Amino acid sequence: MKEFNLLTVAALCLALAFTSCSKSDDCHECHVAYMNSSQQEVEVEIGEFCGTDLEDVEAPGYLHSIEETIVGMDTVPAGDYNVHCEEHAGH
Amino acid sequence: MMNIFTTYSQTTGIVLDANNMPLNAVNIFLLDQNLLLFSNEDGQFITELDIPNSSYISFYKDGYSSKILKYKSGVELKIILEKLHIILDEVGVSDSYSELGNSRLINIEKKSLSSLNSISMVEDIAELSGVDMISSGLGIQKIVVRGLSGMRVVTYLNGMQINNQQWANDHGIGFTDLGLTEVELIKGASALKYGSEAIGGLLYFKDTPFTSSDKLKGFIFSGFNNSSYLSSSKFGIKWNKKRLYFNLYGQYSISSDYRLPNNTYLFNSRFQQNAIKFSLGYRYKNWQNIFRCQIHAEVSGIPGHVHEDPSEVDLIEITSSELSLSTDFKATRPTQFVKNQLFIYESNYMVNNFKVEFYAGHFINNLKEHEKWTRPSFDLNLSNTLLSPSLRYTSDKLSLQLGSQLIFQDNKNNINDRLVPDASSFNLGPYILIEYEKDNFGINSGVRYDYKRLTSDDQVLGLDYDNSFKSTSFSSGLYYRFIDHIFRITFSGAYRSPHVSELFSDGVHHGTSRYEIGNEQLDIEYANQIDFKYQWSTDHLGIIVNPFIQDISDFISLNLADSVISGYKVYNYMQYDKVEINGVEMNLHYHPHQLHNLHFEQSYSFLQAKNRYSEYGLALVPANSIKTKILFNFNDYERLSKYRFDYISVYHIYKFKQDSYAEYEELTDSYNVINFQLGLKFNSQFHCSLGLNNILNATYTPHISRLRGIAGGVPNPGRSLNINLKYEF
Repeated sequence: MKEFNLLTVAALCLALAFTSCSKSDDCHECHVAYMNSSQQEVEVEIGEFCGTDLEDVEAPGYLHSIEETIVGMDTVPAGDYNVHCEEHAGH
Repeated sequence: MMNIFTTYSQTTGIVLDANNMPLNAVNIFLLDQNLLLFSNEDGQFITELDIPNSSYISFYKDGYSSKILKYKSGVELKIILEKLHIILDEVGVSDSYSELGNSRLINIEKKSLSSLNSISMVEDIAELSGVDMISSGLGIQKIVVRGLSGMRVVTYLNGMQINNQQWANDHGIGFTDLGLTEVELIKGASALKYGSEAIGGLLYFKDTPFTSSDKLKGFIFSGFNNSSYLSSSKFGIKWNKKRLYFNLYGQYSISSDYRLPNNTYLFNSRFQQNAIKFSLGYRYKNWQNIFRCQIHAEVSGIPGHVHEDPSEVDLIEITSSELSLSTDFKATRPTQFVKNQLFIYESNYMVNNFKVEFYAGHFINNLKEHEKWTRPSFDLNLSNTLLSPSLRYTSDKLSLQLGSQLIFQDNKNNINDRLVPDASSFNLGPYILIEYEKDNFGINSGVRYDYKRLTSDDQVLGLDYDNSFKSTSFSSGLYYRFIDHIFRITFSGAYRSPHVSELFSDGVHHGTSRYEIGNEQLDIEYANQIDFKYQWSTDHLGIIVNPFIQDISDFISLNLADSVISGYKVYNYMQYDKVEINGVEMNLHYHPHQLHNLHFEQSYSFLQAKNRYSEYGLALVPANSIKTKILFNFNDYERLSKYRFDYISVYHIYKFKQDSYAEYEELTDSYNVINFQLGLKFNSQFHCSLGLNNILNATYTPHISRLRGIAGGVPNPGRSLNINLKYEF
């Protein structure tokens, strides 16, 4: 009986350990990346994308059009750019 | 003198110390049956099993010399274990059993993986001389042996070859220490039985054996590290009923980003691991069957991700000033998703002096690397099937082993984006090994022939490749013991055929921030090694000196090209005509006569890698090092042990400056790291270990860190505290 109880406890622990409590977030902030003359990346935020919109902007070959944008000391020219939605350190 | 008697298939025996006093809790390991027994308070042990003749039995107790004997029915078993002051490399001081061969004749090193004070399994193994690790925090870690890694260091888990895209530095070892008891290591090309391709070395990880007991046994473990808020929980259960044996283990670990010495956090160094495994054994007379199953899942962030030249970024761009516990445990991008499934069936039958074995293993590795949220950059399935029949004959002095390995491997892309192509291979490797020992002298020799056919018919990349590689590997060794002096020399040769990643890579590898281009013209690389080991030990002092030289021709390497594709530097695979790796490893173990519980251990690793055809050195060659451990055991001090103190230890590593490096690497300065451990023993079942790592909060980046080339070198974790608790029942 004692053995049975231990096995039951172990099985419950296992079930809990492998159960995820988090729900997936499917909306993400995206940006285009522009390399300035010093070969440093300048990011231009293009907003949050969710679900199929996110799939679209991450699709191969997709380019996002932006107007000329000033970010800090850099001017990002108007044009079509690849989109990046991965996170970077920043907090 | 001997006390064995057999009734109703019962085998009993007794274990005593040098004063004929019974020794309890001695581990009595029936090697061929993979079964562990323990002696009772009277030093006696008993098993209902029929033990076939010529079965090996190992007797081991911490602090005593271990012994191995060949079982002979009708002969009494009375074992005497002598008190041991120094445990130095096990060899010579005591007998020890090794899966990789006779440890007297082959240079085999071992590391216990059951220690409670472990930070990580790979870091534990890297305490051995000549062993280092490539890592980016605790998430992605892999072993480097004498300056070689990746495809050149072959990993086996319970007899199964682990292939998990290990060609890349950001692809870790693929499993944890869950349920493991020990790892064996052969440095260099001497591991014939387990394949010719282990030019750098071979690691063999072993599960804890089955236990013969009327009661359910097991443990619960919980660990915490405040550097990354790593939390790890494990459990294990062992059960036995008559001829049936069952082990079950589970693990769940989660970690956030690790803290650097400057109190910032390396963004995306987080990871999660969970695993479950079981082993089922059934014995009927001389026939034994074991089935093992293991499922391991891992989600590892890839830190240091930038779009510009990684060497030009500032550390502040890839670190966070604080951790958010609500978000910084969650997977972000880029991230690796790894799923490994392992299935093993082992069977052996023993009769007279023969042991017939059959081994079948199947390992499936799925690796997805996501830079984007909705689609992977690549998604690969690598399946590996190993069949291995073998026959062993043992007599008093001679051991002969014949066998073969058949390996089927299939690499399949699940999406059109790919870094390496769809490819299949078949490898056939018959081998023969002979060992002879008489008195203080031993000799071993072995030869293996390998045939490997590699095909790739990839419509997406337009590839139609069909090639075969064949070569012979060999290893021969001599052993001689003169009083307290032991001499061993091994000469071995092996080869490695090029891997599909080296032949056909063509794309951005986000894990390494490189654009890698393979080379279809690559051919076999050959290695020859001479390894000499001298060992001398007395009751209070032990010394090992282990010089070696390895010569590798047609060495396959990545070389930096003068071009950039998609913002990533281009690296081409090519072959160097001749590479020479030589060095010496030394171990010293001392304890004063007046203070037997104080142990002073030191190891030295000096390595030199020369590329005869380039002004630069080889990539990823670790710096020379001195590793020192001072351990004090409180067991014999009642005043202290009543406060639950078990042991105290200080570990120090000094890494020399590394000024030999590849064209795309940089000089790395020397550094010191000191770790402290305190062991507590609340009772015989409940243990605790407290650790303070990197006490000096040193800022250092190992030369072979995966993050060495990013932001001038991303430092390893700063000062951190870890606590591990284990309850055994």
